[in-house]
Amino acid sequence: MNIQIRPILTALRRHKAGTLLIALQIALTLAIVCNALFIIHQRLTNLSVTSGVDEANVFVIANMWGDVGQSTAQVDAQVRADLLALRQLPAALDATPASGYPLRGGGWDNFVTMTPDQTKPTTDAAVYTGDEHFIGTLGLRLVAGRNFHPDEVMVMGTQQAITPSTAIVSKALADRLFPDGNALGKSFYAMGTTPSTIVGIVDPLHRQGVDQWSNGYAGQALIWPLRADDSRGIYYIVRAKPGQLADAMREAPKALYAQSRLRIIDPKDGIQDYATIRHKVYDRDRGLAILMGIISVVLLAITAAGIVGLTSFWVGQRRKQIGVRRALGARQRDILAYFLTENFLISATGVVLGAVLAIAFNLWTVTRFEMDRMSMAYVGAGVLVLLLLGQGATFAPALRASRVSPVEATRSV
Amino acid sequence: MLAYYFQLGLRSLRRNPALTALMVMAIGFGVAASMITYSVFRAVSGNPIPGKSAQLFTPQIDSWGPQQNLKGEPAEALGYIDAMALMRAHEAKRQTLLYPVQLSVMPGGNRDLPLNANGYAVTADFFTMFEVPFRYGSGWGAQDDDTRASDVVISSELNQKLFAGANSVGRALNLGGHDYRVVGVASHWNPRPRFYDLFTTSGFADEPDIYMVFNRALDLQMRTGGRNSCRGSLAYTTWQGYLQSNCVWITPWVELDSPAEVASYRSFLTHYAADQRLAGRFDWAANVRLRDVMQWLDYEHVVPPESRISLAVALGFFLICLVNTIGLLLAKFMRRAGEIGVRRALGATRGEIYTQYLVEAATVGLAGGVLGLLLTATGVSGVGILFQPEIAKLAQLDFSLVGLTFVVAIVATVLAAFYPAWRAAHVQPAWQLKSS
Amino acid sequence: MLKMTHLSKVYRTEVVETYALRDFNIDVKEGEFVAVTGPSGSGKTTFLTIAGLLETFSGGEYHLDGIEVSNLNDNARSKIRNEKIGFIFQAFNLIPDLNVFDNIEVPLRYRGMKAAERKQRIMDSLERVGLASRAKHYPAELSGGQQQRVAIARALAGSPRLLLADEPTGNLDTQMARGVLELLEDIHREGATIVMVTHDPELAARAQRNVHIIDGQVVDLSEDPRFHAAHAAVADEAHG
Repeated sequence: MNIQIRPILTALRRHKAGTLLIALQIALTLAIVCNALFIIHQRLTNLSVTSGVDEANVFVIANMWGDVGQSTAQVDAQVRADLLALRQLPAALDATPASGYPLRGGGWDNFVTMTPDQTKPTTDAAVYTGDEHFIGTLGLRLVAGRNFHPDEVMVMGTQQAITPSTAIVSKALADRLFPDGNALGKSFYAMGTTPSTIVGIVDPLHRQGVDQWSNGYAGQALIWPLRADDSRGIYYIVRAKPGQLADAMREAPKALYAQSRLRIIDPKDGIQDYATIRHKVYDRDRGLAILMGIISVVLLAITAAGIVGLTSFWVGQRRKQIGVRRALGARQRDILAYFLTENFLISATGVVLGAVLAIAFNLWTVTRFEMDRMSMAYVGAGVLVLLLLGQGATFAPALRASRVSPVEATRSV
Repeated sequence: MLAYYFQLGLRSLRRNPALTALMVMAIGFGVAASMITYSVFRAVSGNPIPGKSAQLFTPQIDSWGPQQNLKGEPAEALGYIDAMALMRAHEAKRQTLLYPVQLSVMPGGNRDLPLNANGYAVTADFFTMFEVPFRYGSGWGAQDDDTRASDVVISSELNQKLFAGANSVGRALNLGGHDYRVVGVASHWNPRPRFYDLFTTSGFADEPDIYMVFNRALDLQMRTGGRNSCRGSLAYTTWQGYLQSNCVWITPWVELDSPAEVASYRSFLTHYAADQRLAGRFDWAANVRLRDVMQWLDYEHVVPPESRISLAVALGFFLICLVNTIGLLLAKFMRRAGEIGVRRALGATRGEIYTQYLVEAATVGLAGGVLGLLLTATGVSGVGILFQPEIAKLAQLDFSLVGLTFVVAIVATVLAAFYPAWRAAHVQPAWQLKSS
Repeated sequence: MLKMTHLSKVYRTEVVETYALRDFNIDVKEGEFVAVTGPSGSGKTTFLTIAGLLETFSGGEYHLDGIEVSNLNDNARSKIRNEKIGFIFQAFNLIPDLNVFDNIEVPLRYRGMKAAERKQRIMDSLERVGLASRAKHYPAELSGGQQQRVAIARALAGSPRLLLADEPTGNLDTQMARGVLELLEDIHREGATIVMVTHDPELAARAQRNVHIIDGQVVDLSEDPRFHAAHAAVADEAHG
C-alpha cells in the first residue's frame, strides 16, 4: 500500500470549501464534546459522593407543629414523647431529633474560629444538632473519641442561640482545624462566646448543601448535642431495621399522629427516604449530565453523517478519476487508503483547532461559572474519538469508491 | 417566480432523500436543543414585573463591616434595627419590609388536621408596590400596620381549600393558635423569578398562601420561616436579644419614581450609615447599595449556571448543525453544476440561480422547523428530567416559542445557504452538461 | 445579425498565453444558415461560446442583432441569451429531473412569461418538432433523436433571433441525424438565422455558407469548388 500525502493535499486544495467545512465541524464538535464529557464526569462525581449516612435504611420526617405558640418546655415534652414512640416502632432501630440532615440541600452552617474574638473565620462548618442517638441513627462511623452522653444534650428554644461545650466533628473539619491530627480534646468557637470541645470524630459526614460555594468546605460538619425545640417544627431522623424501611416509613406517621394530631407532616414530601433525598438534591447535576449526554451523542451522529455525506459526494464527483487510477493499476485498497488518508489529514487539522477551542471554552466556563479546569485527558479522549469517528464515517463511501470499475475511465458521461 | 423555485426545491429535495433527511435532522435537532434550553433560560431570566422593575429598589446597608461582609458587598438583607430605621424615616413614596413566615391553619370545619400555610409578613404598601391583583377585597391600609392588626390576605388556592372559593373577606381564620381576619383574596400572583424574596428563595418557589401584617408578626415573636444570616458571636436567649443581634433576615423594598428620587434616597442611605458610624454602631465608612429589580436579579445570580451552560452548549450544537448543513448544501448544489450551467445558458441570471437555491434551502429550513417544533414540544414536556422541577415547569411551549422555532430554523438555514448558493450562482453558463 | 470584427480570445495561465481566437472576423446576415467547420482545437467551440454570450472575449468587437455586447454585464448578457438566442447542444443538455414540458418551460420562466402563454408556446413548439404527445415524458424515456427534438423545441419556444447549434447530430445515428437536420432546414426556411458548428463536411454542405476556422482564424474557402457546388445545390433546393 503506498500512501502519498502530496497528491492528496493537491486534490484537497481544489475542494477548499468542503475541506474547511469538515475540519471546522470536527473542531467545533471536539470543543463541545470534550466540555460536555468533562461536565458529565464532574456532575456524576458529585452524584456519587458518600454522605456517611446508612442511606439504605434511614428516612427523614419533616414535622411541623400546628400550634406555633407552644412554650419550649411544651415542645420539648412533645419531642421526647415522639422520639420514644418512634424508637419503639417494631421496624425502627433508632431515631433522633435534628435541625437538618446531610444532603438536605442547604441549611444551618456556622463560621468556625480558633479564638472568640477572631473576626476572620478559620473555616466554615455545617451544623447538625441531635441527641445521643444522632450518630447511631444516621449510621455514622465514629473514628475517634466517644458519642455524646445523654446528660450533655441541651435544649434550645426558638429564640435562643446556645453553644454546647462539647461537639462531635467530621474528620474533614478536624483535619482543617488541627492539621497535625490530635484534634480530640481540642476546642474551637463556632459563632459562640464559649468554646466547644471535640469529644468525637466521625468520618465521613456530608454537609447539608451541595452548592458550588461550599465545595471549599466539603465534608466539614459539626454535631452539637442539642434538641432544637423550635416552636415551628423539627426533623425526626429514623433508622429502620435492615430491610424494613418501607414498614418503618408507614408506621412512623401513624405513631406520631397517635401522640398528637396538632402537627403537619406533608403527605407529599413530609417523609422521605434517602434515595429520594439524594435524587432531589442532585437534580441539577443529573439533569445537566443527561442533557450533555444527549447533545454529545446526537452531535457525534450528525458529524459522522455529515462526513459520510460529503465524502460520498466527493467519491461521486471523482468516479471517473478513480476509474482512471484503477485502469492505471491502483488496487482497491489503494483507493480505500487514499480516501481514509484524505479524511485523516482533514480530521487532524480539525482536532488541532478543536483542541484549542475546547480549552478556550473551558476557560470561559471557568471564569464565567467558576467551574473547574478541564484535564487534558478529556481533550485527548475527544481527539481520539473524533479521529476514529472520521475514519469510521469515511469507510463506507471509501469502500464504495474502491469498488469503482476501471471501465469508468472510458465513459464520457 | 418564488413558487417556481419552491417547486424546483421540493423536486430537488425529493431526489436525494437521504441527504435531505440528514439536513432536516441537523436543523431540527439543532433548533430544538436551542429552543428547549432557551425556553428554560427565558423563563428564569425574564423580567418578573416589567412595568415597574425600574422603580422598585431594595436598599442594602453594610452592618457587618469590611471584615465580615460579602467580599465588600453589604449583606443581602437587613437586620431588625436597620429595617425599622428605614421604615420610620419613610424617605420613599412607598416602602415595605418583608420576611417569610411559616404558619399552620388550625383544624376547623371538617378538617381534623392542621394545614401548612407559607407566606410573608409584609407592610401595607406591599400590595400596591408590587401590583398584587385581588379576586376579593384588597390589601390592608397603613393604619392597620400602625394598629398591628390581625389582617391577612390569602391566596385563591388557600381560599379554595378553606372557603371553597367563596368571597371570604371578613371571615375569621385561626393560624397557629391565633385569630385573624381575611381582608383580601389575591388572584393568582407568583412573579418569577420572585424578585422580592431572593434572600430566602432561589426565585422559583410555589405561590405563597398568605400575607400578614409585619408588625403583628413581630408582636407574635415569629421567627423568619426563611433564611437568617448572622455574623460575630451569637448569644441571644430572648426575642429582644435576637432583634438586637447581628443577624439579617428582613428584605426592604422602596418605590422611587424618578432619578432625582433615587439619588436622594441613595444619599439618605449613605447619611444613615454615616450616622450609625457617628453613633458608634458601625466602625467603618458607609457602605450602601440601592439596586433596582433587574440589577438585583443579576446580582443574586437568579439564572442558574446550569441554564446558561446548557444554552451555550445548545447554541454551539446548533452552530455545528449549521456548519454541517453548509457542507451538505454545498455538495448538493455543486452536484447540479451541470444543470445550473444549462439554466444559465438558457438565460437565467445569477440572481435567479441564487434565489432558486436560497428558496430550496428555506424549504429545508421549513422542514427542519417542523421537526424542530416536534422535538421542542417533546423536549419541553420532558424538560423535568433535565432541570429542577420548580424551574422545569416554567418552560412552556407558547405561541412565541413556536414562531421563534420556525423563524430561527428558516433564517439559520438560509444564512447557511448563502455560501453554497453563491457558489452555485457563479457556475459558468455551460455549453455542455459536464461530466467528471 | 452576428458580426465579429478583429475579435480575439486569449487563455492566460501563469506561464503561457494561448490564443483561441485571433483577429477573428465573421458576419452572419439575418436569415442565413451558416456552418462553421474546422478541425479539432481550431477554435470552433470557443467561437460558439462567445457567440452565445457564454464567455467573454479579450479584444475586438461583437455586435449581436445590432448590440455591441462586450460591455454588457452578466445580467444583461443573461437577458440576451434568454430572449435572442436559442441553443442546440450536441449532448442535448436536457435537465434529467424535468419532464419534456418543464424542460421547454425553463427559458420561458426566466422571461417571466404568464402561465397561459408559456403553455401555448410549449405546445406550439412541441407540435413543431412532432413530439406533442411526449410532453409528460422524462428525457431518459426518449430516444436520442427525440431528445434532440425536445432540445430544438426548447430553443424555438422563445422565438429567438438566432439559433446556435453545436454538432447537433454528433450524438445521433445516421437516420436520426437526418431527421434532425431536416428539421433545422425547415426552421431555416421559415426565416430563422442558424449558426451551426460541425466538423462533418457533409453536414456543412447542407448550409447556405461555410466558414472554416483554422488556428483561431477564419480561412477563405470560397476558392474551393466543392463549396460552390454544395452551395448551389442547397440554393436550388431552397428556390425549387
